[in-house]
Amino acid sequence: MNQLFQFLLRQRNFLLFFVLELISLWSVFKYNDYQRTLYFNTTNQWVASLLAQKQEVQNYYQLREINRDLATENAQLRHEVFRLKAQKAPDLKLPYYINEAVLNRYQPVACKVIDLTTQQSQNYLTIDKGTKDGLHPGMAVISSTGVVGKILSCTENLSMVISILHINNTVSAKLKSSGELGYVKWAGWQPEVAEMMDVSKYKKVVKGDTVVTSDYNAVFPPNVPIGIVAKLGLKKDGNFHDIKIMLLTHFSTLQYVYVIKNRLAWQQAKLEQSKPKPE
Amino acid sequence: MGSSSTFRWILTVIFTLFIQVLFLRDLTIAYFAFCFLYVWPLIKAPIDTPPAYLMLGAFVLGWVVDVFYNTHGMHAFASVLMASLRSPIFRLLTPANGYDERSSVSLQEMRPLWFFSYLFLMLFCHHSVLFLLEASDLELVGISILRAFSSCLLGILVFGILELFNLNK
Repeated sequence: MNQLFQFLLRQRNFLLFFVLELISLWSVFKYNDYQRTLYFNTTNQWVASLLAQKQEVQNYYQLREINRDLATENAQLRHEVFRLKAQKAPDLKLPYYINEAVLNRYQPVACKVIDLTTQQSQNYLTIDKGTKDGLHPGMAVISSTGVVGKILSCTENLSMVISILHINNTVSAKLKSSGELGYVKWAGWQPEVAEMMDVSKYKKVVKGDTVVTSDYNAVFPPNVPIGIVAKLGLKKDGNFHDIKIMLLTHFSTLQYVYVIKNRLAWQQAKLEQSKPKPE
Repeated sequence: MGSSSTFRWILTVIFTLFIQVLFLRDLTIAYFAFCFLYVWPLIKAPIDTPPAYLMLGAFVLGWVVDVFYNTHGMHAFASVLMASLRSPIFRLLTPANGYDERSSVSLQEMRPLWFFSYLFLMLFCHHSVLFLLEASDLELVGISILRAFSSCLLGILVFGILELFNLNK
């Protein structure tokens, strides 16, 4: 205490200086109109910018929840899109009618990717929903940009998805502009590039065309984008185009996917099973 | 400092304050050079004046000028700052043989080079702080410094003339 007092005594000139300057400054900002408004405006600005920064940080920590909500909302919107696309009257002269059950057959469910591989020749994803949420093996999985794969197996809460980056997984596809049919198959090494097979060399194919899922597809809804035609060539056997496509799904940054529940899948399967077996 | 010199100092204070608030208040050269005569007593105060007294004096002086100039606190702030910088400036400008036998600041006792650099440093500290505080605007820093500098030159001129009168005495 004594030492503190002595210290204060030694610094008395500085203390006096400090006090006098403080009084002067206080008076400057208190009684002068210009300086007073300046003080208020500046401090308000600082406070506002501080609060804005705090808001930004808060937003950042809310991103996870926001992402989840957006994915759910997207799933709903996708359902709407499938419905509207199916509803759009095709260019037919015949009277055509589509029933409500067919209209509503595709129901997307947003799922989070828990695990995925892209480096092997047979790649799989694990997602965080299972039979409890109505998922079954064979359902289509798409991302916000393109196809992902289909469900291979489900547990109660998780599912395993066989990616289109799998050398044995093929997707029935068509070229968007010409409607040429074929199928898409992964070549087994670059996770961005796949091949489209079975397009006859006499058909016209242009670079930059979009490859989408075909209408005759048991798994995927029609017209889901798969990739963009990036490179054209001729197969060694000379009968087909050699088409390399850039996949639209970025597997390395995939976070949310949509599983497409097909409500009429069991009916379709039943019908197809009832085909007479060839003698 | 003796009682007679204290008395003289107080007389100087009253005189300069009077001149300042009655005549120099409205005087300006092209809105760039202002004369602040009231700092004269602070500059002329005996070298051995205790800094605390000087600062208190500067505060009161500045406060009175503020009241008349309607610039609450600004002159007080600048004057107290100048008073507190006086002893560092003394230390900075120590003449070869120290301050021992000389107790007053004047052209008579100090060499002109010492006196004018002392005057310049003191006035510039005071004026730049004053004008910057008055403007309180980063965009006006250039103009404020320019004003401080020209006022400083005017101050040196005026105080130099005053000093010359002192010389003849």
